[in-house]
Amino acid sequence: MPLDHDKDAYPEPPRRTPVVDKQTNLPNPALIATKLFHYAVDLPVTTFRDIMDQLHDRNKSYYYQQKFRRVPELTECKLGDYLCYYEAEMQWRRDHKVDQEIVKIIQERLRACQQREGNSHEQNCAKELQQFVQVAKAYQSRYGDLGAYASARKCLMKQKHRMLEQQKEATQG
Amino acid sequence: MAAMSVLWRGAAFAARLNPFRHGISNGGFLSRTVREADKATVRHGSHGKQMFVIKPSDYYDRRFLRLLKYYILLTGIPVAAFVTYVNVFIGEAELAEIPEGYVPEHWEYYKHPITRWIVRYFYDPPEKDYEKMMALIQIEAEKAEMRLQQLEVRRHMRHRGDGPWFQYETLDKSLIDNSIKSTPDT
Repeated sequence: MPLDHDKDAYPEPPRRTPVVDKQTNLPNPALIATKLFHYAVDLPVTTFRDIMDQLHDRNKSYYYQQKFRRVPELTECKLGDYLCYYEAEMQWRRDHKVDQEIVKIIQERLRACQQREGNSHEQNCAKELQQFVQVAKAYQSRYGDLGAYASARKCLMKQKHRMLEQQKEATQG
Repeated sequence: MAAMSVLWRGAAFAARLNPFRHGISNGGFLSRTVREADKATVRHGSHGKQMFVIKPSDYYDRRFLRLLKYYILLTGIPVAAFVTYVNVFIGEAELAEIPEGYVPEHWEYYKHPITRWIVRYFYDPPEKDYEKMMALIQIEAEKAEMRLQQLEVRRHMRHRGDGPWFQYETLDKSLIDNSIKSTPDT
């Protein structure tokens, strides 16, 4: 996990380091095993990582997240204004990608919760499950069956049909 | 292999020595007659019996694999060494917030140093690509508009006949021979 992850979304279980209460003179095999692991695996890997970090710190460079300005959407474009259509289409594609990543993050949280709770995940993961169900339903209703050649126009038409259905239900119900 | 064959032959010899196998032979205990006269225990000073194995030639297969490995590693090893050098000594970029008032260059949005180099020196910035696409769309939109206008203008000029198009050259009036019209009965 990266060091700056959201502590609320991925809570760590409380540490339970037991108090050492040695009652025999025999060596503790668990202690031997941990020390062995530490010297054979942990220490070489950590020193290697430190050397790499030192080498990398000499020529440090940064990369940023690109921020895009908001442009008028497809509903705000005049008919026949193909440039406006293109900009709206590009913006819709970026938003589609962002929404896919959002769904992946929510899935990852649910997965982490299930892994963390173990056998009691059905009771303790209710919040994550509810979040996931909500997000998945929203994604399905907005981007659901658009297919591989999805575009902003098709999404808009889907929204139009959705609203028509809602209106029909409202007037009939 | 040699030990195995020696052991096997030793075991066979010991079994034949055993007097209780197949009961007592004809001459009693003291006469040890060898029953199988065609086989004898032999000790090899080498790696066992050399066999002449008859199988089809694997020269072509081995040559193919040898050449495959050679040509793959010919460029594979330098590329792997270069990439290792870049990853160890230059290292990947770190994610950071965009500082105030600073507009990053278009290659500063990528992590790996080789990707950054390629994007910096070979690719156009995404803004330029966007503008190129917009220019193409503008040209095509203007073309489509002009074609529609042309059809409209054609329709009007054909219908009204007062425009520069659809003007056909007709004969000069003075060339017409009107002498036929002067006699009414032809």
